[in-house]
Amino acid sequence: MSAHFRNTMTWLHTWMGLALGFVLMVCFFFGALSVFDREIDRWAIPQTRFEPQPLPSFDRLLLPVLQRVEPDQHDYAANMPRLHDPTKGPMTPRLELPVDEYWMYTTHRDPVLAMGVGFLVPLPKDPDAHNHIHARTTVDPRSGAVVPDDALKIGSHWFYPMHYSLNWRWRDIGIWIVGLAGFTMLVSLVSGVIMHRRIFREFFTFRPDKHVKRSALDLHNLTGVVALPFHFFFAFTGLLIFASYFYFPVSHTLLEPLHRQHEVLEAQAAGLPHKRSGIPAPLASVDAMVAEAKRRWAARDMAGEVGFLKIHHVGDANSFVSIYRAGSDRVALVGEGIHFKAATGEVLREDPPRSAVSEINEFLTGLHLQHFEHWLLRWLYVLGGLLGCVCIATGFIFFVEKRKAVHAKAGGQGSRVVDSLAVTTVTGMVIAAVGMLVVNRVLPADMAGKGDWEKLAFWGIWVLAMLHAFVRSGPLARGGINPAWREQCWALAMLCFAAVVLNALTTGDHLLKTVFSDPYWPVAGVDLSLLATAGIAVWAARKLALRERGAVKTIPSEVTTRAAEAANV
Amino acid sequence: MARQRAAFAHPTRRLLILIPGSYAFTWGFIALGVTGLVSLGVDFHEAETAMMLLAFLVFPSLFLWAFASPRPGRAMALLFGGAAFMVSAAWAIQRGLLV
Repeated sequence: MSAHFRNTMTWLHTWMGLALGFVLMVCFFFGALSVFDREIDRWAIPQTRFEPQPLPSFDRLLLPVLQRVEPDQHDYAANMPRLHDPTKGPMTPRLELPVDEYWMYTTHRDPVLAMGVGFLVPLPKDPDAHNHIHARTTVDPRSGAVVPDDALKIGSHWFYPMHYSLNWRWRDIGIWIVGLAGFTMLVSLVSGVIMHRRIFREFFTFRPDKHVKRSALDLHNLTGVVALPFHFFFAFTGLLIFASYFYFPVSHTLLEPLHRQHEVLEAQAAGLPHKRSGIPAPLASVDAMVAEAKRRWAARDMAGEVGFLKIHHVGDANSFVSIYRAGSDRVALVGEGIHFKAATGEVLREDPPRSAVSEINEFLTGLHLQHFEHWLLRWLYVLGGLLGCVCIATGFIFFVEKRKAVHAKAGGQGSRVVDSLAVTTVTGMVIAAVGMLVVNRVLPADMAGKGDWEKLAFWGIWVLAMLHAFVRSGPLARGGINPAWREQCWALAMLCFAAVVLNALTTGDHLLKTVFSDPYWPVAGVDLSLLATAGIAVWAARKLALRERGAVKTIPSEVTTRAAEAANV
Repeated sequence: MARQRAAFAHPTRRLLILIPGSYAFTWGFIALGVTGLVSLGVDFHEAETAMMLLAFLVFPSLFLWAFASPRPGRAMALLFGGAAFMVSAAWAIQRGLLV
């Protein structure tokens, strides 16, 4: 392999890795937390701390709830002007929009049910487009009681979307940035492998007693190589999941005519009406359809529960009910769809087994989204995600360590900026996440707009952590260590401890209860993880204090050349 | 030619041109792949799924090849030219498939 080739790969790995590494930290960390997103929801919303329930009666309990759901105000304000055609008549008021679809989604880990409604836009600009104003609701399946919107699901509706969209949905720009970061991860993994001459040896090389630069690089290589298939796989499948809708929306742009033509043909072939007929019709018993679906799955030797249910063209003669099986016992998400005529309950279609290409896609995306019930594998996913975080963080540390002495001599601020950003996206990010949980316990449960305050607290705490990192970064200009690392470790430990104590005080679900006397592992798991984090943060803070005290003597200057850069790896 | 090469030599500039270039080529690859497969009788969604699976293998590989190429001008021409050709071909095939 030529030196030129290796040097270009080194440049790419260093600079793309640095620029997008800050985004990748967010993806890997919040992705790791997302494995237990529903458990974090239980911690954040104490009224939902009960065991997952069997699906209640749709006809008696869930349909009445859906019929009371109103179109979301934000969705209406944002999208009605875009979808409505003013030349056809006045805009229909929000509360008069007709219902078009109902859906319901459940997982084996969720005690509560997520449900939603799609409302039609009566006078749309493009009648063939998907003209819906949406609404969502969450219910307690034991009683049909609605969980208020103000109660933010910190796990599944904040940490989880953070990892794929940075919670920045303006024109989906966050999703695009994450896409670029995912692309960078693939490029960095491949270029990282190309840069390294002795990749197999790196599985077993970690010299913690050497200078920080050497041990940071050892750990960077180790964590990169040990979980290389995991890192590559998650970046690849993450991009794949959003590929057809966001990253390469070829079917919705260049090939939209062909796509639409196909959808109509597909609906005709399946016998599932693509459009409303305009003739009203009642809804037969959905509970009977659910029972029939379960009977048919059992007859195919795959007895299971309902994972997803959708009613299309509500109230119309063309209405049909699609019932999908939950995939908690295998990798693919939901499948084995059975479709019923809504007015009569007769089976219109049973989805055939998937083709090879579909199976591969479902398997790959299902491995990423892991809705399956396998606790060991889920914890291994968390470990993989955290190894990814260590890989990226040690990359930052190595970058700074390699250059700070040179920059100090030359009076440059580059290492100082990178190090401050590293503090922000390593300790700062974790502080923001835990701080949000603390705020969640401090604010009253019935507070209006509680979720919005929690989100504001998250961003505010993170910005404060960033300011702290920059303000304290002075020593880097002299080739030293930023004390913000140590200080934020202490702050994190205190916040973790506070979160656990506050949970015990505000809900009575302390660890002795949730582990021993009345076990409830979702909450116990979060509390124990917070305590473990506090322990690691204290250990790190003390190590850093020792290192800072020991780093008083001047660090010899180093001049790196391109050859030395290549040799260092 | 030498001035072009010098302008393109800086790695940051190469990066900023070759990421869109590889993206465009991959877009064309997907479009041509989908329309080609559909014209051979493959179901549309199957064709789309198959091309998406290939896209994220093609995209980074293409980018890495182009970035490391000792003739960056040729790489750029191949990427953008190839994209234009494939998009046009896909458009033409689509017109033939629409009823």
